[in-house]
Amino acid sequence: MAGIVVKGRFPRRRIVQTVAVNVFRYLFRGAARNWFRNMGSTAPALGSMTLLLLLSGLIGLSGLALYNLEKVEAGQASLLHVYIKDGATTTDVDVLWDRLARDPRVATVYYTTKAEALKRAQHIPGLPQIASATDANPFPASLDVQAKNIDDVAAIDTMVRNDIAVDPAYPTSYDQGAYQRIQAVLFGVGVAGLAFLVLLGFVAVTVTMNSIRAAIHSRRDEVTIMQLVGAPRWMVRGPFVVEGAITGGLAGAAAGLVTFALAMTGITAGAATFAQFAPGITVAVAAIAATIVLAAGLGLGSGSSLISVRRHLES
Amino acid sequence: MHLALQPGELTFLVGPSGAGKTTLLKLINREIRPTRGEVWVDGIAAHALKASRVADLRRRVGVVFQDYKLLPRLTAMENVALALQVGDLRVSDQEASERALDALDAVGLGDRGGAFPHQLSGGQQQRVALARAVVAQPPLLIADEPTGNLDLETSWEMMDLFGDIAAFGTAVLIATHNVEIVKRLQRRVITLVHGRLVRDQPAGQTGRLAWLASS
Repeated sequence: MAGIVVKGRFPRRRIVQTVAVNVFRYLFRGAARNWFRNMGSTAPALGSMTLLLLLSGLIGLSGLALYNLEKVEAGQASLLHVYIKDGATTTDVDVLWDRLARDPRVATVYYTTKAEALKRAQHIPGLPQIASATDANPFPASLDVQAKNIDDVAAIDTMVRNDIAVDPAYPTSYDQGAYQRIQAVLFGVGVAGLAFLVLLGFVAVTVTMNSIRAAIHSRRDEVTIMQLVGAPRWMVRGPFVVEGAITGGLAGAAAGLVTFALAMTGITAGAATFAQFAPGITVAVAAIAATIVLAAGLGLGSGSSLISVRRHLES
Repeated sequence: MHLALQPGELTFLVGPSGAGKTTLLKLINREIRPTRGEVWVDGIAAHALKASRVADLRRRVGVVFQDYKLLPRLTAMENVALALQVGDLRVSDQEASERALDALDAVGLGDRGGAFPHQLSGGQQQRVALARAVVAQPPLLIADEPTGNLDLETSWEMMDLFGDIAAFGTAVLIATHNVEIVKRLQRRVITLVHGRLVRDQPAGQTGRLAWLASS
């Protein structure tokens, strides 16, 4: 019986499903199997990357805390106390106050009486003893000048220190270089932390690259056969990159968890003290840091594997 | 040298060690790149191919090696199916298995699909390699000393298979040292010496006086 053979189109959904299954098999399942097989040679990379990421997370959180501390210090450094001479007339003080208030470099001016100065001093460590050592109030009244820009504090100090209302012995709270010293210390700490991280990063990338190189050499025959039967480049290289991503992901997950746990321990152990030493470090910030550490692990692992594959796996 | 292979033609590549037989096969399969000259395979300029496109060429060239080059962790059927699926991800597991078993059946190993390479003899492994090389129906099949590790009887069986494959339209190029096979099969023979094509004997003219017909 004669007939017509109708060649039906293969359903698109089935094709997509088949391609997905094959990609998963050759890229991810193969990589996971090989990762377990090569766990011994991967262990050093996993260890060094975990250490790097953990330190990165902790240094990152410390950096954020230092940055917030620096902002607090900058706020304090831009506040200039202009000490009023005992016996200065109200008119002289008012004239100085007006001068300062009209100055475009000044944000606000606030008058602190001797009584307020004493009250404030009692909250500052060491000063209550000075206050109680004498019957008289040793703390002067002051005009507290908030400069708009920290760089203008020196000029404002020069402008007011010879004023008739100002104490000639201790004219202002201005300490030339105090803020710069803080900045220098923070900059030094930042540079040292960054250099340490770069060094650790270099070690982690090198160790990971070498572990992938070892994996390539141990599977050279398999790679050759895959290439000879016509496997596309991504199918040959991909599993090695995924292997690196697995290493980096596991290291990132471990380091992220430890970072989060340490931050949480700090936050819950001494909330008040911790907020002073590490301002801005909250549960949300710790969680974000842990996520970034995990993402960095994935990126570092797959990136260093990619470099190694490009270098050691010829087409 | 200038050399062209026609569909359905089985050609032997002979010559002393170091003559360039393996090099020629590697040039065809783009395992190495020619410093000059052109290599065309089924319309693809192998000599000018970018590294990222080499896989396209290799899917058009089936390869059989003296040492089989089977993946030891895969069964015979999986080794054959691999060649199908890496070349075309749209091939499902079921289709790949069926076609792989068909190819294994064609080389006489239909009942050994589940065996791992180490469970097979040398001749059986070479047949699996042959099934893998032709399962995707490439227009060209190249073989580098395919009978080098086989006894004479198995070698003849392999040659019968190569002949059958050529009969279905595939161009087959076999590099070999096996003079006995070359003489008896009376196929086209290309002789290389020091990288030069010194003799191209047409099929049927490869007997003792073959040099009379040499080009």
